[in-house]
Amino acid sequence: MNDELMAQFLVEGRELVAAAARDLAVLARAPSDEAALDGCFRAVHTLKGSTGLFDLAPMGLLLHAAEDVLAAIRAGRPAGPADFAALLAAVDEVDRWLDAIEGDGALPAGAAEAARIAVARLGGAEGVPAQAAPEPQAWRAPPEFAGLAGIAIRYVPRADAYFSGDDPVAIIAAVPALTALRILPREGWGPLESYDPFACNLVIEAVSAAGRPAVQAALRLVADQVQLAELLPAGPGAAATGAAATGPAARRTLRVDAARVDRLAGLVDDLVVAKSALAELAAEAERLAGGHGLGQSLRARQAQLDRLVSDLHATVGQVRLVPLAPLFGRFPRLARDIARALGKSVSVETEGGEVEVDKAVVDALFDPLLHVLRNAVDHGVEAPPERRKAGKAETGTIRLAARPDGDRVVIEVTDDGAGIDPARIRDLAVERGLLRRDAADALGDAAAADLVFTPGFSTAAAVSEVSGRGVGMDVVRAAALALGGRVEVAGTSGRGTMVRFVLPVATLLTKVMIVACGPDRYGLALEGVVETARVTPDRIREVRAGRAFLLRDRPVPLVALGALVGAPEPAPGAQRVVVARAGGELVGLAVDAVLDRMDAVVRPMTGLLAGAPGVMGTTLLADGAVLMILDPTELLP
Amino acid sequence: MSVTQEGPVIRLEGLCRVEDAEVLAALLQRLPGSAVDLTRCEGLHAAVAQAILALAPPLTGVPADPFLRELLLPALAGERQRLPPRI
Repeated sequence: MNDELMAQFLVEGRELVAAAARDLAVLARAPSDEAALDGCFRAVHTLKGSTGLFDLAPMGLLLHAAEDVLAAIRAGRPAGPADFAALLAAVDEVDRWLDAIEGDGALPAGAAEAARIAVARLGGAEGVPAQAAPEPQAWRAPPEFAGLAGIAIRYVPRADAYFSGDDPVAIIAAVPALTALRILPREGWGPLESYDPFACNLVIEAVSAAGRPAVQAALRLVADQVQLAELLPAGPGAAATGAAATGPAARRTLRVDAARVDRLAGLVDDLVVAKSALAELAAEAERLAGGHGLGQSLRARQAQLDRLVSDLHATVGQVRLVPLAPLFGRFPRLARDIARALGKSVSVETEGGEVEVDKAVVDALFDPLLHVLRNAVDHGVEAPPERRKAGKAETGTIRLAARPDGDRVVIEVTDDGAGIDPARIRDLAVERGLLRRDAADALGDAAAADLVFTPGFSTAAAVSEVSGRGVGMDVVRAAALALGGRVEVAGTSGRGTMVRFVLPVATLLTKVMIVACGPDRYGLALEGVVETARVTPDRIREVRAGRAFLLRDRPVPLVALGALVGAPEPAPGAQRVVVARAGGELVGLAVDAVLDRMDAVVRPMTGLLAGAPGVMGTTLLADGAVLMILDPTELLP
Repeated sequence: MSVTQEGPVIRLEGLCRVEDAEVLAALLQRLPGSAVDLTRCEGLHAAVAQAILALAPPLTGVPADPFLRELLLPALAGERQRLPPRI
C-alpha cells in the first residue's frame, strides 16, 4: 500500500465525512433540503469510491449501503428522522474507522461486524451487499495499446455517474502523462430516439506513461470502477515520453509536506536575524574615518533588505495558513460520542471554518478544544429530563465559532447548558484548598469563574468517566498561552457557558529585551516589562524573607534574576532593575545590565526542555548565539 | 458553456457542462447530419462526449486544448489510436 496515497485518503476522508455529517445535520431539520441531500450523496459517493484503493472492505460496504439509501431518497423515497439518524450513525462509524486507520494503519478488529449491523440499521438488509465488491479479475489491455509502454487503464463509470456529479472525462484527463485514449459505449446505444443523455454508458480505456502510484493517485476517487494493467514496452523505441504536453494543468492547489514549509519558515526566521546584523555593520562603517558615505549606502541597502525580508516573512506565514474547517469538522462526531456515553444528546454547530490560521496553531488546538468540548458536554449540557424541566430542547447545542480579529483569531465554544455557578466554583475552590474562604468570597463572579483554569481545580472536579483523565482546564490555559494567546470563560448561570480563545493567527515577532546576568545573556519578553530603573541601596528594604524597593512610593518586591536562573547575583550597590508585570503585580528583577532590545522570532522549546518552567523559548542572536527568552511570570515562585 | 446552432453547424464553445448534453442530443436528433464545430471548445463533460459518440455527427475544427485535440477528439472520431507526436 502506498503511504502517501493513504495519507491523502485520510485527509480527504475526514473532509468528506465532515461534509456528509454537516449536510445530514441540515437534513435532520429540513428533510427536503435538496442541496444538502445532493451534497451528502456526493460526499458519501466520493468517499466510497476512494475506499477501493485500500483493504477497507467493511468501510466500502457501509458507504455503499449509505449511498444506496441516499440515492433512493434522491429518487423520491420519503425519508424521516430515523433514516437520517441511521445515516449519521454510519458516517460517524466511518469517522471512527478513519481514526483507527490513522492510529493503527488498519480497521479495528470488529469492523466487519460493525459494518453489518450499521448496514442493517440503514435498512439495507435486503442482502445486496454482494454487488459492492468490484470484480477482481485481471483485465488485459486491448490490442490497440500494443506497442505502448506504461499503465493501461480501464475505467467503467457507473451508470449514475453524471447524477453523482462525476465527470469521467475530467477524471481521466487528470491522469498525468496520458499517451492514448479510447472511449467506447459500455452497452449498445439502442434506438437513438430514446437516447438518454444523462445515463452514463461509457468505457474509457487509456494509457499513462506515469508510474502506477501517480495513476492510482489521480483515479483514487473512482478506484472501485478502475482496473489497471502493466504494459510492457514492445521495443526500445516504443517508450513514448513526449506526452507531457498533453497533461492539462488542472490543479491550482498543491499539497506540500508541512515539514518543508516549516523548514522554509525556519530559514526565513534566521534571515530576519541575519539581516539585523547589517544595521550594526552600517553604524560601524559610519564611525570609520571617511566611512560616512559607505555607511549611508549600507544603511539604504539594509532598509531595502528589511522590507523584502519582512515581505518574505509575511508571505511564508501565509503559506502556512490553513482553514479551521478540517479541525472543526472532527468535533461534531466526537461530541456525539461523548454525549452518548453520558446519556445525553448534543449537536455541534460550527461557524467560521473558513477562517485561516497558522498550521502550528491549528495542530496545537485539537486537544484544548476537545477538552473544552468534553467539559461542555459533561458539565455544561444537562441530562434530558433536566433540560425538559428548564424548558429547553432535549438536545443540547454547542456552537464552535471562529472569527478573525485583526491579527488574532477568536474561537468561542458556547453551550446552552446550565452555565457556571460562581458560588459553586468558590465552594469547590475552598474545598480543594486552593483558596481561603474569605479570599474566595472576595472574588467577583468573573474572577470566580476564572478559577476553573487553576491547576488542581478541574482535575478533581471531573470524576466522571468522560472528563476524569487528570487533565484540567489549566492545561487548556497553558496551551493557549504557549500559542501566544489566552483563554477565558464567560458564563451565565442557567443559560450556558462560553469559553473564548483569543489566539495569534500566525507566529509573530516578539519584542525582546536582552539583559546580562553575570556572564550570561537572557531575553525578557518586552510585553511583560513595564520599565527599567536604577535602584540605589537606600531605596531597598528587607521585607520578611525577601527584599523590596520603593518605586514612586510604592513597594515593589525585588528579586535577582540571577537567583532565579542559577546565575551569580549582582554585586551589592546600585542595581539595574527591570520592572515587570507578573500576574497583575509589579515585580523588580535585578540584573547586571540592560543590553539591547530586538524583534525576535521566539521558537518554543522542544524535547526535554519543552516543560522547563519560565522559559518561553529561544531565539538566535545576530552573532549566532542562542538566547533564552524568559517569562518572568512563570519564574517567580 | 454554450451550444449554438447556425444552419448545418452546431457550435460548442467554452467548457461544455453536463446540462449541455441534453441540448446537444436534442439538436442532433432534430437535425441529423449537422456537423459539430469544436474550434472554440475548451472542455467536454463526459455526458457531452457521450452524446457525440452515440449520435456520431461529423466533427470540425481544431480546439486549442491539448487534451481535447490530441486525445479526446481522436477517440470520439473513432480514429485509430495514434501515438502522440514526438517532441
